[in-house]
Amino acid sequence: MTEPTSEILLFQVGARVFAAVVHDAVRIGAVRDVSEDDLVLESALGAPFGRERGIVVASHEGATERTLVVDQVVGVRSVPEADVQPLPAFAAACLVSGAVTGLVMLDEAPLLLVDLPTLVRERSLAAPELTA
Amino acid sequence: MRDPSELDKPKKKPARAARPARKAGVPAGDALQVEAFLRAFAAGEHGAARLDVASFADPMLRGIAEAANAAADHAVEQLDTSRQRVQVVTAGVDEAIEAMIRLVIQGDLSGTMRLGVSDAALTPLIAGIGQVMETLKRFVTEIREAALQLSTSSAEVLAAATQNESSTSAQASAIHETTATMEELKGASHQIAENAQMVAAIAEQTLTGAKQGEGAIKSFMSSMEKVRHNAVEVDDAIAKLSKRVERIGTVVEVIDEIADRSDLLALNAALEGAKAGEAGRGFSIVAAEMRRLAENVLESTKEIKNLITEIREATHAAKEASDGNKRMAAEGEQLGGNAMTSVSGILSGIQETSDAARVIHLATQQQRTATEQVVQSMSEIEEVTRQAQTGSKQATGAASELTKLAERLAELVKRFKVE
Repeated sequence: MTEPTSEILLFQVGARVFAAVVHDAVRIGAVRDVSEDDLVLESALGAPFGRERGIVVASHEGATERTLVVDQVVGVRSVPEADVQPLPAFAAACLVSGAVTGLVMLDEAPLLLVDLPTLVRERSLAAPELTA
Repeated sequence: MRDPSELDKPKKKPARAARPARKAGVPAGDALQVEAFLRAFAAGEHGAARLDVASFADPMLRGIAEAANAAADHAVEQLDTSRQRVQVVTAGVDEAIEAMIRLVIQGDLSGTMRLGVSDAALTPLIAGIGQVMETLKRFVTEIREAALQLSTSSAEVLAAATQNESSTSAQASAIHETTATMEELKGASHQIAENAQMVAAIAEQTLTGAKQGEGAIKSFMSSMEKVRHNAVEVDDAIAKLSKRVERIGTVVEVIDEIADRSDLLALNAALEGAKAGEAGRGFSIVAAEMRRLAENVLESTKEIKNLITEIREATHAAKEASDGNKRMAAEGEQLGGNAMTSVSGILSGIQETSDAARVIHLATQQQRTATEQVVQSMSEIEEVTRQAQTGSKQATGAASELTKLAERLAELVKRFKVE
């Protein structure tokens, strides 16, 4: 009997590698093919070094799509569900962003599991404040 | 002058032997008496007793005796008269001689001679002495004037001789210095001639070297032209290489773009496979393999890009080097041309210098010969001048002596008073 697994999308922003559930990503695209207004250049994960790859994320309602600019899409990995752990409550309380939902143990190293729609939404909400 | 006493002495004639009376009848004693008387008178016995006329018997003899007595008396009288005149004339002559001697001794020619005696016989003598005095006076006057002129002239001659001696000495000194200078000039001319010969030889060597340098510059310019030609060919080759590299870069960019899109497609395929769950696992595996291939292509294109970049840099460096070579070759050609122009000028100058050096050498040889001749002539002139200097000294001495003699003569002539 095989152990249940979770399909995780690995991407890199800056020097760090993050993990996301594959269903949060609509597709992987090239940044140059997307208009500037639909790009999310900076988020709670930080600012990428380059502008090569973008992860197209749909809103929770599925009405709009935004492209999260990342430095690299590392790939898709299948990890045991046991290696996917929710974020402890005290840790979630310490974080400002609600996009970080858990931890993924990959090659004995913990990676932050990010909720991409929440991350894009937080950025969309914060954008007017930043602008102001 | 004959002694007047001699006048009293008639010339003695050998007494003839008493001749016998020529006629008979004439008393022989009377005739003999007359004859003896006449013979004694003729022998100078003028004071002898006269004939005793009364004692003559013969009238003819008596007359003869009277005539003889008268003739004797007259002769004695005439003789006395003559003796007195002789004494007068002798005294006058003595007085005249004494006066002349006195005048000569005293040198006083201004007066006229006056004699204490007067006799017609002395007139010619006095007149002659007067003429002698006048002549002597004229001579003295002329001699005095001549002595004065001689003194003046001798003084002038002395001054001139002294000046001449001084000038001759100065001339001799100057000629000596000139001779010494000409000797130095002779040595200098010799040195100059040798130096000119050396300069001519060096100029000839320099001319040969400059011609060799001209040939070397021509070779250098030919090499520079070849270098420039090669640099142009290298430049063309680099340009072609650069274009091909650019073409390769374009192709690599296309490949890179394709690989990137392949990678993107593989990613999306893997994503979709993962979303599909177990059903999409095989699809995900293929997608992962595609992605690995795309990443390999990207890695390869990245290496190719790096290589192209290196080739571009190398090509650019080669282009710059080639441009540098062309520029340096052009500069080399220009410098070679300048050097050629300079060397041509130098060659012309050296040729002129060589010609001039030869001319100078010839001229200095002639100058040396001329200088030697001048030195020889100066030596001869110096010898002549030395002789002239000696002659001038002698002339000065002679002029000095002449001046003294003129002064002495003037002093002597001054003794004669003519006015």
